[in-house]
Amino acid sequence: MKRLTSLVTVAALLLAVVAPTAKAAPPIAHREVLPNGIVLLVAERPAVPIVAVRTYSRAGAVLEPPDRAGLAALTGSLLTRGTAKRTGPELDSAIEFVGASLEAGAGRDGMSVSLGVLKRDLGLGLDLMAEVLLSPTFPEAEFKRKVAQTQAAIKRSEEDPGTVAGRALARLVFPNHPYGRPPEGTVESLGRITRDDVVRFHREHVRPDTAIIAVVGAVTVDEARREILARFGGWAKPTTPPVAVPAPGPSGTPREETIKRDLSQATLLFGRQSIRQTDPDYFPLAVAAYVLGGGSASRLYGRVRDEGGLAYAVYAYNNPARYAASFAVSAATRTAEVPRVIEIVREEMTRMGREPVSDRELKLAKDYLIGSFPLRLDTSGKVADFIVSVESLGLGLDYADRYKERIAKVTAADVQRVAAKFFAPATYDRVVVGALP
Amino acid sequence: MRRALFIVVLLAWLAGPVHAQSTDGVVATTLDNGLRVLLLEDHRSPIVSFQMWYRVGSRNEQRGATGIAHFLEHLMFKGTPTYGPRQFAQLVEQNGGQDNAFTSQDVTSYYVNIASDKINLVIDLEADRMHNLLLDPREINSEREVVIEERRTRTEDDPGGFLGEEVSSLAFKAHPYQSPIIGWMEDVKRITPEEIRAFYKTYYVPNNAILVAVGDFKAPEVLERVKARFGAIASAPAPPPMLAVEPVQNGERRVRVSKEAQLPIVYLGYHVPTYKSDDAPALELLSTILSSGRASRIYRRLVYERQLALEAGGDYSYFSFDPPLFWFWGTPMPGQTPETMEKALTEEMERLKTEPVTDEELTRARNQTEASFVFQEDSVHRRAALLARFELIGGYAGKDKFLDRLRGVTAADVQRVARTYFTDDKKNVGVLIPRP
Repeated sequence: MKRLTSLVTVAALLLAVVAPTAKAAPPIAHREVLPNGIVLLVAERPAVPIVAVRTYSRAGAVLEPPDRAGLAALTGSLLTRGTAKRTGPELDSAIEFVGASLEAGAGRDGMSVSLGVLKRDLGLGLDLMAEVLLSPTFPEAEFKRKVAQTQAAIKRSEEDPGTVAGRALARLVFPNHPYGRPPEGTVESLGRITRDDVVRFHREHVRPDTAIIAVVGAVTVDEARREILARFGGWAKPTTPPVAVPAPGPSGTPREETIKRDLSQATLLFGRQSIRQTDPDYFPLAVAAYVLGGGSASRLYGRVRDEGGLAYAVYAYNNPARYAASFAVSAATRTAEVPRVIEIVREEMTRMGREPVSDRELKLAKDYLIGSFPLRLDTSGKVADFIVSVESLGLGLDYADRYKERIAKVTAADVQRVAAKFFAPATYDRVVVGALP
Repeated sequence: MRRALFIVVLLAWLAGPVHAQSTDGVVATTLDNGLRVLLLEDHRSPIVSFQMWYRVGSRNEQRGATGIAHFLEHLMFKGTPTYGPRQFAQLVEQNGGQDNAFTSQDVTSYYVNIASDKINLVIDLEADRMHNLLLDPREINSEREVVIEERRTRTEDDPGGFLGEEVSSLAFKAHPYQSPIIGWMEDVKRITPEEIRAFYKTYYVPNNAILVAVGDFKAPEVLERVKARFGAIASAPAPPPMLAVEPVQNGERRVRVSKEAQLPIVYLGYHVPTYKSDDAPALELLSTILSSGRASRIYRRLVYERQLALEAGGDYSYFSFDPPLFWFWGTPMPGQTPETMEKALTEEMERLKTEPVTDEELTRARNQTEASFVFQEDSVHRRAALLARFELIGGYAGKDKFLDRLRGVTAADVQRVARTYFTDDKKNVGVLIPRP
């Protein structure tokens, strides 16, 4: 232990000395803006002959009309169901014949197409990717099929207490913002969506001037640029400006909701609005979240699981997105112990704001958050997802380095201050799903 | 911190591209105490995946003590005299690592993925808990409640998990594959600390374990440390062999359960042989043909064309130690009945018997399998797990032979295995009916 500490001190000193030259470290990816506005990101990882490609469009659920929840996700999932050149089954057969995958979908903020392909089949993979993004035909039969499948999947997801609780909590935390609606939609909202809605949503929001394309793997920057320009260079940007999304208003008085299900275990979910990476308090909040309920050394894990034997899963986490963020605490416990778990969660949240975390806890959290970063970037797919994420959130490609620097500077006083601000139990909405009276 | 990282990145850069696509380069050795060690250098990222695989799972359990292997997996994180309760996780996390474990019917596996300069810490921790586990009765009782909660999440409150348990216990009468990995609830509640200790002493011995590490290290240095730490652990008598053999099934078995759920579920399980059989490659390829991707047979026919199923597929476990079930499953779309679902799955099976699969299907399935191996090369964690998987069934280098076996499969082979194994006398059916 002693040795470890002194090593860290030496490292901290070195950090201070070498900080100015650290900029010379190779950036995580090459970035350039193509003539039509596409941001192209390329990371060369030559060792394994595979390539991961991502396209990201600012075409998420936040842009749906309020009565058309699920439109973005539906549009995304229909991209691979037919293009000007190929039917859906032809696309499936073509990509799977070479052992590759091409998946499309949309979440709250964006619509993505993901390609994973052997290097030797990159040309084919990019051809198909460009087709599905630029010239999807949204055939009527495919539209009807996908609506029915999505409605069935939503019905089935009602079996999963975590999903049920998450949907209810989003509605409570973001009552007046698109984040309050389920991105997959509801059985009813999907019933209202027409094929024309899908065509229009794609036309308006999938556009080069807000698009990001990341190419990661066994390619060079020149090769990636050439291949992307050949397929996406002629994509013209529309004359209308991209649509703006307002920030959410306050969520109002915290509410509690109980959803009855005939289950042996109850799922608890607490949540409130919080902050995203652009707020300086984001970094102390990340440390606070880790101490409270991040890993198996966290306070909630210790009291609820290790000592209490009350739950298999208990977590606290911040959940940042492009337009807003939420903080959540979750646990699942046998029905009879719900009051006790609620009490422990409230106590521990309050204690985080009342007294400073110990030096040991602070150090563990910071060392983990900083030291585990390489594990988040150890495959081409993970690197591609990461660089698209930081670019789409406007965080900059040096975010990984800045993140580590900011986390390293967090003090126990910082943690206590943000905990007092964000962990007060009285400010949390609460959902319980289970066999409660 | 940052400087150290920068140097490592630079060194990897200077070293140039690493060509490590085959199992060449694996340093394989068996220590005097029987511990099998597989080390593979991979210098692309400054990380390592360190994994311990024990040849013990639910197949090694006795009636009345089901779930003991999985229970013990939880307790492996509850401390030794050197590293107290919770210290394993704390040490791993404060060194930026991620750890977890899983138990299957055949094996129990532990992994730590961590910055490669921390590998010595992990070697020390894993060697220590192989033979010094505390197994404090108080910790055991507290963890028992956690396992019970896990069972509620996975089985009691999960329709698919619940039905799977019912079908397995129906399909196997003599073989321990009949019981759930997590154990029957009453057994989990009952198992004593003494039984757990005895189970630990029997199976957590060097001659019953495989150590695999893949990552940014020098194999000779790691081997030296492994020898120093694990080499000191005494060899033990070979764990008792699992002798149960499932008798031949004579006639269809069927179970219907009712459970709070939104949609019905249908499972079909057919008794099939292990990887040792000449039929295994055809079964493996068939499972890919049936359900890998949207062009696969069951997806294309039942989900896409006929729109009978929300999801459906078929699966064979090539790595199973003992003869497993070939599973078919389907969740009918709202408005469709489980009877229709079962009939449609059975029709697909019958079609396999009467019409040979196409060349395109065979080639696609082979290409998918081969490509998946290349994709797995990108992750040190998956590389290590794959080495272990093949080592467990006869040798880490078996991957190449596996691909050769798949290449040899013909349409006639697929037809033959379908005719041989998808018969009524090997059939086990489970249907879950949603309770209103």
